[in-house]
Amino acid sequence: MVSAVVVEVVGLRVEVGRALVDGVSFGVGKGEVLAIVGASGSGKTTVGLALLGEFPVGAGVSGDVRVRGRVGFVPQHPGAVLNPVRRVGAVLRELATAAEVGRAVEAARFPRALLDRYPHQLSGGQQQRLVLAQALLCDPAVVVADEPTTGLDRETRDEVVAEFASIVARGTALVVLSHDMEVVRALADHVVVLRAGKVIESGPAAELLTAPRHPYTRALLVEPLRAAANDAISAERLRIEGLTAKHGRNVVLQDIDLHVSAGECVAVMGPSGSGKTTLARCIVGLHPPSEGTVALDGRPLARTLRSRSREDLAAVQYVFQDARASFDHRRPVLDQVARTAARLRGMSTADSRSAALAALAEVRLTEETARRRPATLSGGELHRAALARALLARPRVLVCDEITTGLDAVTRTSVLRLLAALRAAHGLTLVLITHDHAVADHLADRVVTLHNGLVRNSKIGNP
Amino acid sequence: MTLGRYASRRVALGLVQVLVVLVAVFLLVEALPGDAAVALAGDNPDPARVAAIRASMGLDQSAVERFVGWLGGLVTGDLGTSLVSGRPVVDFIAGGLPTTLLLAGVTLLLLVPSSVLLGVFVARRAGRGVDRVVTAATIGLHAVPEFALAIVLVALFGVTLGWLPPTALGADPLADPLVLVLPVIVLLARPLCAITRLVRAAMIDALASDYVRHARRLGLSRSRVDYRHALPNALAPAVQQLARTTDWLLGGVIVVEAVFVIPGLGTALVDAVAGRDMPVVQGLAVLFGVTTVLVNLAADLLAFRLAPRAGTAA
Repeated sequence: MVSAVVVEVVGLRVEVGRALVDGVSFGVGKGEVLAIVGASGSGKTTVGLALLGEFPVGAGVSGDVRVRGRVGFVPQHPGAVLNPVRRVGAVLRELATAAEVGRAVEAARFPRALLDRYPHQLSGGQQQRLVLAQALLCDPAVVVADEPTTGLDRETRDEVVAEFASIVARGTALVVLSHDMEVVRALADHVVVLRAGKVIESGPAAELLTAPRHPYTRALLVEPLRAAANDAISAERLRIEGLTAKHGRNVVLQDIDLHVSAGECVAVMGPSGSGKTTLARCIVGLHPPSEGTVALDGRPLARTLRSRSREDLAAVQYVFQDARASFDHRRPVLDQVARTAARLRGMSTADSRSAALAALAEVRLTEETARRRPATLSGGELHRAALARALLARPRVLVCDEITTGLDAVTRTSVLRLLAALRAAHGLTLVLITHDHAVADHLADRVVTLHNGLVRNSKIGNP
Repeated sequence: MTLGRYASRRVALGLVQVLVVLVAVFLLVEALPGDAAVALAGDNPDPARVAAIRASMGLDQSAVERFVGWLGGLVTGDLGTSLVSGRPVVDFIAGGLPTTLLLAGVTLLLLVPSSVLLGVFVARRAGRGVDRVVTAATIGLHAVPEFALAIVLVALFGVTLGWLPPTALGADPLADPLVLVLPVIVLLARPLCAITRLVRAAMIDALASDYVRHARRLGLSRSRVDYRHALPNALAPAVQQLARTTDWLLGGVIVVEAVFVIPGLGTALVDAVAGRDMPVVQGLAVLFGVTTVLVNLAADLLAFRLAPRAGTAA
C-alpha cells in the first residue's frame, strides 16, 4: 500500500447457517482500485456490503472492517434502486445542497437536462451514471461498485469505465466487484479472487491477470472458443431480404438484408434499442414484419408464428434472454422440455420424456435436477435447460437472444462451449443477439452491427 | 407518455363513457314494460286517456327523437319533470345533493389521512403485536355490514347511553353536527379497513424494495425514507380503492340514509323508484353514472402520477 490506507478488512467472516464469507482480508489505499472477482455466489456482494456496514439479516459476523471516511455504493442493477415515482433530481436535492448536487452530477457526467426525469425515462447508462452521482454526493473516501457493467452495451460500458477511472484519478479509492474481466483489466491495481467465500488468490493486477496461479482464476479468464474451421459452412440456410419492422409507427428495422449459411454463426450486435431483438423476433415469427421476407432453405416462412407449419416452427427455434421467465414456475423443468418433442415432433408422452432426458444430458443436466421446478434451478442451469428445450425440436436455425447476460464468467464459458459443441455436432446455424464482444469473438464467424434499425457494418470474424 | 397526453386521452375516453352511460340509462328506462302514460293513467286505464297523456308528453314520438330531445334537455340542465309531483327533476337532485355531499365530504376528509397513517403505522411494525391486532380488527370490522353496524351503534349510543342523537330526523346537519357522528362512523368503518389493509400491504412491499434499501444507504432519515420514498409507491392501489369508495359515497348510501333518516340522494332514489317516477330515476342514474366516470378519471390521473412507468406500457 503506497499512501494512506482507506479500507482495511482483516479476517472477515459472515455466516448465515453456512459461511458466506470466510477469512477475507485486504486493504485499499487512497486512489487505489481493488477488484474482487469470482463467480456468482462467491461472496463478492457480501464483502462489498460489509464495507457499508450492511450484513444479511441474522448473520454472524466476526473479523474487522475499518473504513476511514464515507463509503459510496453503486449497486448492481441501478434501475432497481431508483425510486420509480420520484424525479431523479428531487431525490438528489434531498441529499445535498444544489451546489453539491451540481458538482456530483458533473463528476459522474450525468446530463443536467435529465434531472427532472423519472428513472424509467433514462437509459441504462444514464441510470448507472445517476447512481454514481448519488454515491459521489457524500464525498466518499471509497466507492464500492457491484457489477457496474452488467447489462450495458459495449459503448456504455467503456464510458462507465472511463468515469470510474476519472473518479479514482481524483483520489477516491474504488472497490469493484465484478466478473467482467475486461473491466477488471482496465481499472484494477490489485485483484482478490474469491471462491465460495474464501480468498484463493490475490495480488497486483498486472501479475495476477497475466500469470494466474490457481486453475480457477484461469477459468475466469475466458479463452476463445471459436469453431476451428469453417468447413461446415456450405449452402445458404437463412435469407432475410428487405426486412422492415415497426413498433406502432416507429420503424425499428429498415430494409435489412442478411444471408446466413448452414452451420454458420452470425452475431448481431449493436447498442440497446438498435433493433437486435426485433430482428430475432421477426426471424422466428414473434413479430410480423411490415415488409420483406425471411426464407429458410429457399422457402419463405410465414410472417407470424400462428401461420407457420409445425415443421417450420421446429426448424427455427428461439432461446430467450431471460431463461427463468421462459419457464412456467409451477411445472417441473423436465415436463416443459419434453413438451417440445410432443408438440413439434408429435412424440408420445413417454417417448418425449426420454428424448428430453437425452437432450438434457447433452447439456449436462441430470434427471434429478430436471424433475425439479424452475425456482430451485440456478440461472446457468435454466439457460442450459432452455437450450435443451430448443434443441429437442431439431432446429436448423437457433436464435439466441442475449443468452449470456447476467451469467458469471465460468457459467458463460460453459454455455458458450456448449453452443460451439452443439453447432459442430448438429450443423446448426446460429444467430446470436448479443452486445458482449467476448461472445461474438469466441463464437461468431461473422458480426453484423445494427444501428438505429440499419445494418451499419458486417465484418468477417478472424478465425 | 407525459401526464398531459395521458390526461387528454383519458378525458376523451371519459366523454365516450358518459355518452354510453346516457344511452344505457335511456334504453333501460325504455325497456321497462309500460310507460309513464300507463303509470299516470291509474289502476283502471282508459285507452283514450292513455293516448292523450302520451301525446301531451311527447311519448308518441320515436325513441330516437325522444333521446335527442332528452339529451338536449340534459345539456341545458333540464332533466325533465317528475311524474308524481310535477316538480323539475333538478329540484330532487338539489334537495338531496347537499346532504350527500356533506356526508361524503366529512367521511373522505377523515378517511384519507386516518387510513394512510394507520396503514403506514402498522406496515412499519409488520409482524409485531400491534400489526396483528390491527390486522385482526380491520378484517373483523370489514366483515360487519353497514346496516348491522348502524343498528348496533344506534342501540348503544343513541338509545342505551343516549350520548348521540339516534336519527337525523328533521335536524339540520349544519346546525346540529352531532347528528352526523353515527352516520359518518358507519360510512367510515369498512372503507377504513379496506384502505388501511391495502396501504399496509403495498407499504410492506415498498419497504422491502431495493430503492428503499438504497435510500437508507444514502443516509436519509428513516421517516424521510418511509414517507417520501416508500409511501408514494404504496399509494397506487389505495387510490383505486378510494375512487370506488368516493363513488359509493356520492351515490348516497341508501342503507345509512334509511337507518338514520337522512334525506340524501339515496333516499331520493328510493322514493322515486317506489313511486315509479321514471324521469327522477333517469336523472339520478345519469348523475350517478357521470359521477362514477369523473371519480375514476381523477383516480386514473392520480395513479398515473404515482406509477409513471405504467403509462409507457399503455
